[in-house]
Amino acid sequence: MSEIDVSDIQGFSLKGYNFPCARYLLLELLHHEAARDFVKALLPVITTGERWDIDKKPMSTVNLAFTHTGLVQLQLPMVSLLSFPVEFQQGMKARGDILYDTGKNSPKHWDPVWKEGRVHAWLAVNARTAEALEERCAAMQQLMTETGGARLLQGQDAGAIYLNGRPSAKEHFGYTDGFGNPDFKGAERVCVPGQGKLTGDGRWEALATGEFLLGYADEAGELPVAPIPHLLGRNGTFMVYRKLHQNVATFRDYLDAQGKLYGGGKEKLAAKFVGRWRDGTPIELSPDGPEASIVADNNRNTDFTYGGDPAGARCPIGAHLRRVHPRDAFGFNGGLVNRRRIMRRGLPYGEFVPEGQPVRDEDERGIIFMALNASIFRQFEFVQQQWVEYGNDSHQGNDKEPLVGNHDGTGKFMVQGTADPKNPPFLCGGLPQFVELRGGDYFFIPSLTALAMIATGTVDPR
Amino acid sequence: MSNQSGQVYGLTILSPIIEDDRLDICHSMELRWYLGHLPRDHKSPFAQISSTYLARLVVMDDVVYVGAPACEEHLKSHYLVFETNFDWDLETYLTRLARETPEFVDAVWKHCVGYPGVSDIAAFIAYMKKCQVETTFFFADVNNRTVQKSLEALRTQSALARFIAKHQGQSPAEVQREFGRLLHAIAHAPPPIPGGDESDRMPQENRPHE
Repeated sequence: MSEIDVSDIQGFSLKGYNFPCARYLLLELLHHEAARDFVKALLPVITTGERWDIDKKPMSTVNLAFTHTGLVQLQLPMVSLLSFPVEFQQGMKARGDILYDTGKNSPKHWDPVWKEGRVHAWLAVNARTAEALEERCAAMQQLMTETGGARLLQGQDAGAIYLNGRPSAKEHFGYTDGFGNPDFKGAERVCVPGQGKLTGDGRWEALATGEFLLGYADEAGELPVAPIPHLLGRNGTFMVYRKLHQNVATFRDYLDAQGKLYGGGKEKLAAKFVGRWRDGTPIELSPDGPEASIVADNNRNTDFTYGGDPAGARCPIGAHLRRVHPRDAFGFNGGLVNRRRIMRRGLPYGEFVPEGQPVRDEDERGIIFMALNASIFRQFEFVQQQWVEYGNDSHQGNDKEPLVGNHDGTGKFMVQGTADPKNPPFLCGGLPQFVELRGGDYFFIPSLTALAMIATGTVDPR
Repeated sequence: MSNQSGQVYGLTILSPIIEDDRLDICHSMELRWYLGHLPRDHKSPFAQISSTYLARLVVMDDVVYVGAPACEEHLKSHYLVFETNFDWDLETYLTRLARETPEFVDAVWKHCVGYPGVSDIAAFIAYMKKCQVETTFFFADVNNRTVQKSLEALRTQSALARFIAKHQGQSPAEVQREFGRLLHAIAHAPPPIPGGDESDRMPQENRPHE
């Protein structure tokens, strides 16, 4: 097991906090000296990856990341700036063709804050209560004012959807989300079945640390591409931030219409889209209906493979889950997917409208999708381009992922089936665009050491 | 015979490129420029040779040393690498290449040592065979069908998918009637164009969203 220094790693890079409230403060950095003072003032309050004692869980957390333009604004040495991976230097907007961020997903339809290219920093506040969130955000604003180092462009609220007065893991389409993040060596928890990599004998073990943190060996036994000096990159990681708007009315109308035609019924069709019933039960484990005991058991709810279902009779071959984490589906005991894993940190935004109530596509709601990986190019961009927006690896031709793919009303999703009338083959045609990209960028989440170096102007690439 | 997989032939050719210090622009550079401007769609010269699954032309200057533990090695010359997978046998394919795309073959191989031209087809075939090395890997999607049959199958598959999306849930009588029309349309569709996008050649009633 790799030894990793959790006190030097930002907590957000290591774990999801599971706090119900969040605000992502999108900042423009001002004069570099003042901006460095602002980073210095933040240093004592940045939340690290250290384990919390049960009675010392904080009311809120603070984490900080920069775009490449932000690092330019902070006047890092040119040699260091040019040593970052090219995709991070370019930023997400410039990668639109690779990511298929075209049509309704193209930057001309993004929120103004992302169009203007002035987002230099992402300051994330996660909180246990709304009051704690406001209190911490006010303190952040005060630091900005006192140092004169940053200006708030926009605060993006996000948070768990409350059902029956309690925070849930639901997203706006009604699916339970947030299962399954890859385990990697050095992270504090024990490897959960289904969440690391498959071994030759069918067990699961943690992935190499370097798939998610810079400065450690990755699955190829190499150090991931990282900026120089080594200390600037070590214990840091890269984040992809995408604001994904959800067209809930379109989704519900489509599911209603197709559900009437599908022999298995609407809820089963919803499960076939994702690979999980909407309560979170993996359809691979429970093909005939949801099973609450599986959802509740962390040792079971991600513990499955597709080897026993090569034709997709239980989980369709093009379903969301099977595409973005193919497990053993491509053979070689999962060897082809181990370098394409991402860690997700997403939270919904906007008001949740329960099924059966009037809902409009135009209203602000969706998911703030955040993915962490050591190489945006090799991990996130590959998954997005090859497995979400294309179907060749999963033998689905040009078909895109049905839910989050960039559809124009002509796409299709094949639901494989059996002779059972409750599980017939079915073809969903004319896929509308359920999810639209409203902006985002690529960020670098530095270690505490790197933040201190940035704050004190001591990044020295020599 | 590892050059043959079922009825598909895998050809690998390494032709040494002429080296001439007196030239301002060397042969490998000129060849690279020419290859870089070849059309890649249905106007590609290989689209004329309808039995071609895939063809690739690469100028290889040298092998790249990637550091220890690899040992440092060098090629004796710059090479043109030509890889192609096609239906049936080698001589038929090379004969078609020489007869149907002579200007293209000349424009490429004139930069190579010992190229005899295409006017004497036997000499051309003998030259290509002399440059041939054994093929051990084929294009991953090659099956044991001809290019023509594969294109027809792909077209039928996408027409059927569109048909299902449009007609599933209708009464059996309606589906049967429409399916008869689909079969008729497929049977009377013009032959697929190698290297081209087929969507614009499908009968109108099978286009999406009609």
